[in-house]
Amino acid sequence: MRGIRKAYPGVVAVNGVDLDLFPGEIHALVGENGAGKSTLSNIAFGEVRADAGTIKANGTVGLVHQHFELVGRLRVWQNIVLGREPRKGIRIDEAAARKLVTDLAAKNGLEIDPDAFVEDLPIGVQQRVELLRELEREPTVLLLDEPTAALAPAEIDSFFKTITALAARGTAIMIVTHKLQEVIAYSHRISVMRHGEIVAKLDTYSTSVDDIARAMVGGELPPVAAREPTTMTPCLRIDNVTAGSGGARADGVTLEVRGGEIVGIAGVEGNGQTAIADAIAKMIDYTGNIVLDSRPAIVPQDRHREALVLSWSIVDNAVLGRQHDPGIQKGLLLDGARARADAEAIKERFDVRCASLDVAVKTLSGGNQQKIVVGRALIDDPKFVLAYNPTRGIDVGAAALVQSRLMQARNAGAAILLISFELDEILTLADRILVMYRGKVVGNFERAQVDRGEIGRLMAGSAA
Amino acid sequence: MTQSLIVTILILTIVKAVPIIYAALGGVISERSGVINIGLEGMMVAGAFTAVLVSYVTGSPILGLIAGVIAGAVIGWVLGIAATKFKVDQIVAGIGINLLCTGAAAYGVVLVFVQTGVNGQVPQLGGVNVALFDLHSGALAVLVFAFVCALGLSWLIYKTPWGLRVQACGENPLAVKSAGLDPLQTRLIAVTISGALAGLGGAFLSIGELNSYTDGMTAGRGFIALAAVIFGRWTPFGATGAAIFFSFFEALEYALQGQISWLPSDAMQALPYVAALVALAGVIGKVRAPAADGVPF
Amino acid sequence: MKPVLKIFNGPIGTLLLVVVMMSIVMLGSKVSPVDGFYALIVGTLGGTREIAESLAQTTALLFPALGICLAFRAGLFNIGAEGQLLLGGLAAGALGAHFVGPGWLAILIMLGGGLLGGGLWGALAGWMKSRFNANEVISTLMLNYVAFNIANYLVAGPLKSPLATGAETAPLPTSSWLPALIPDTRLTIALLIAIAIAFILQFVFTRTVFGYDLRALGEAPEAARRNGVNIKRLTWLAMALSGGIAGLGGVAIVAGELHRFNTSLSPGYGFTAIAVALVGDLQPLWICLAAFGFGVLEAGGVAMQASAGIPKETIHIIEGIIILVLAARRYVAAPVEVPAA
Repeated sequence: MRGIRKAYPGVVAVNGVDLDLFPGEIHALVGENGAGKSTLSNIAFGEVRADAGTIKANGTVGLVHQHFELVGRLRVWQNIVLGREPRKGIRIDEAAARKLVTDLAAKNGLEIDPDAFVEDLPIGVQQRVELLRELEREPTVLLLDEPTAALAPAEIDSFFKTITALAARGTAIMIVTHKLQEVIAYSHRISVMRHGEIVAKLDTYSTSVDDIARAMVGGELPPVAAREPTTMTPCLRIDNVTAGSGGARADGVTLEVRGGEIVGIAGVEGNGQTAIADAIAKMIDYTGNIVLDSRPAIVPQDRHREALVLSWSIVDNAVLGRQHDPGIQKGLLLDGARARADAEAIKERFDVRCASLDVAVKTLSGGNQQKIVVGRALIDDPKFVLAYNPTRGIDVGAAALVQSRLMQARNAGAAILLISFELDEILTLADRILVMYRGKVVGNFERAQVDRGEIGRLMAGSAA
Repeated sequence: MTQSLIVTILILTIVKAVPIIYAALGGVISERSGVINIGLEGMMVAGAFTAVLVSYVTGSPILGLIAGVIAGAVIGWVLGIAATKFKVDQIVAGIGINLLCTGAAAYGVVLVFVQTGVNGQVPQLGGVNVALFDLHSGALAVLVFAFVCALGLSWLIYKTPWGLRVQACGENPLAVKSAGLDPLQTRLIAVTISGALAGLGGAFLSIGELNSYTDGMTAGRGFIALAAVIFGRWTPFGATGAAIFFSFFEALEYALQGQISWLPSDAMQALPYVAALVALAGVIGKVRAPAADGVPF
Repeated sequence: MKPVLKIFNGPIGTLLLVVVMMSIVMLGSKVSPVDGFYALIVGTLGGTREIAESLAQTTALLFPALGICLAFRAGLFNIGAEGQLLLGGLAAGALGAHFVGPGWLAILIMLGGGLLGGGLWGALAGWMKSRFNANEVISTLMLNYVAFNIANYLVAGPLKSPLATGAETAPLPTSSWLPALIPDTRLTIALLIAIAIAFILQFVFTRTVFGYDLRALGEAPEAARRNGVNIKRLTWLAMALSGGIAGLGGVAIVAGELHRFNTSLSPGYGFTAIAVALVGDLQPLWICLAAFGFGVLEAGGVAMQASAGIPKETIHIIEGIIILVLAARRYVAAPVEVPAA
């Protein structure tokens, strides 16, 4: 790739990037959210057309998406042959299609049931399907966009075994990721992107996680607010709660969060965390007891769908969820002045970058949107906060600010339940760590006695 | 109940069901591809009117039937373009289509038939004349043909490469795109076929079951077909069954007209709609629409 | 979009399109568009009586359009305004014909009855949606037909005026007619009531917590559900209010124009009103303006039918195209969103 440039209205996403990929290498492309990684890989794949620059590839390019582009209600073989169906007359040759899938899986050392419905499969297996679909095209270049985001540590290992074997057979592989540990462990070379440009090209054997991180951020990492001693008082008690359905249900969960502490729930996506969060939010039915003496302040996991009305202004969004509170609802009316004052306060405390408080939140960056969501949750000094992936998909600066504010709320006496798929985030913030696996709490660690390897093993379901 | 009454009701059920079956099959293919087709009613109107017009002009009901199918397909294509190229809200576009078609047909009736002093009597499609009740085999043949269509559609959706793409489009068009295909084109074709089927239904209504076009003759059958799609769980045979189920009530109303003194005719007339309403409410929790149904891509 | 086409991208384009479509319709009926438009303008705006008639049509459209606006803003596609309007009119006709008492009280009772009649019909669809998740587009459409059957049965039977030859209720006493704004025309104070409702709706949307919840439900249902909006309650309430306002349109026609109820009181106002609401961009005050535009068209349609024998339903052609074009324009005019990098 030579001189790749792509501009969207208002931003230059990729600005003059040169990049070479060689057969047999695993190349990591790292950078913060918004640095231009996804745009660059989409250009390489041919999904997005570059404004300028040239791309030369020997053979075909395959792309494994971060959010798998699979059809849940179709079978594995149907997903894999979609668009390239073997035919018998004008109908699909199903026998040939099944054999094709089985052979392909065997060749790559992957196990798969061609007749299973994709939606019934665990995330890790779904990824295998997505990978197989790309491999079916025998690409000479394979792009992997955040491939391990939803995988447990054990699945990550086996995933990279497959990838390494693939590279050994001559495929050029580019991995777009923000997980620096994996970059160090499995890649050969590293390109770091910032503001649409490649700011560093590193050889993996001669670099470290810290070096990469500094290059990504363009300086030192912003620090998170310090942890202060607190007196802990009972706040939330969850007793034997079962909620949700299917594989992602919570099954007899018992836990306690006291004022002045952050309890982190570690776990791979889809192990019952959402069911617990929804039960606390009273969004789904559950059995068992949830004792909480105040209304939970919630930072939901999907800010676009669950937290914000994207077409609304910051002012209108500032009171969403609290519109029926006595200070905001005056008779039948909504106190517009109060909403504006709250929006102003959130903007100040959380450094929300915006042209005015009346712009639609959809025009803001993900980081600024998330600051509004967290700022709104914390504005009334709540006794209990449920934060679900509070820094997912936002830049490092915004993430550090959000984490700091959560820590400060804890220091001031709030009880915080932190659910996160990023183990690092939990290790940074939590006073106590619970591990969830298949709907059950399988581990409980005090901050002082945390064993990272042990947590990783529990997340993957292996007994201690 | 006499035996002849039962036979009458059965034949009427078939005759009343066939237009709805075609429209419902059209609804199935459209919604499976991810486009909600509120415009089925308008496409039926287009088919019904054009079929009469062409039969009247050419004297050939077969040509009329073909013209009705084409007219429906054209309207379906318009909705498809609106839904794919312009990403118009599909429900709003469907409402627009319905108003456009009913208006155009009303205008056409005045223009062609009333102004020239002809009341729109046309040669009928051979074999089916309900008024006589003597063509049992004809009614049956029509039903068999409708079932063949359902079978064909079922085969198209579940057994062919294109059908696989249609299903994928309705569930996750991104998957289709990343497989190197154009989901918008697949949807456009599906909605055009949908229009052709609805047009066929309309044509059957105007030159098969009856022999003229009158304003409002589709009387919400396109909407009943939509309810049949949902009640039939977005499958060709399910929708066909649901269409027959709803039509049974319509047949009941025709067959029993004036025979039950205590039941007002208006109550009988409302039956198919009430049945559709109850069915709509009754399918709660048991069905799942295609995941990307109604979502522009 | 090509620059040449940009001129269509606005009210001028819509207007131009209407003119072109109507010209085609006129030419089809062998009427010169010059004569046709002259007749149309004179027939709708040429004098006090003509303007009054256009405004009467505006009134009949404005009520259902405002009702539809309320439902659409909550994300509920209420296509049942026609049936709601019919039952509102039926309630008014039945109550007004049998009520004995002062005229002003009769009018209030009719308005209340219309609100209730249309409201119950809307609430039924809302309840089906919130309780059974029944698609409201289909249910409201079906309920239109059922409403017609109910009304038809009642005016042909129990409520039929013994004096009338056709199926209609007994005439209202003159004391309970809605006062005319211009004497001897069909323009009544109902227009003022409708405009007042438009202002109230505007206030509700922008200033009240109810309006806030309603807009949240319409724009981001999942965010609304998770942030204190009682979706089930709001769904049937919004549908009830939507139907109620549409029902008032029936009252306006019954108490202001026909002075009795029959089932042919609406030539499809409930459907045309969808176009009105969309052209007015779901903003109550703009809808008033849009209703006037369509009111002129409706009145013109009647005039065209009388003079050139063009069926007034052809107005639906124009409405359908306007809906398609407007919905498409929204897409074309929308700013390009920056994809997440």
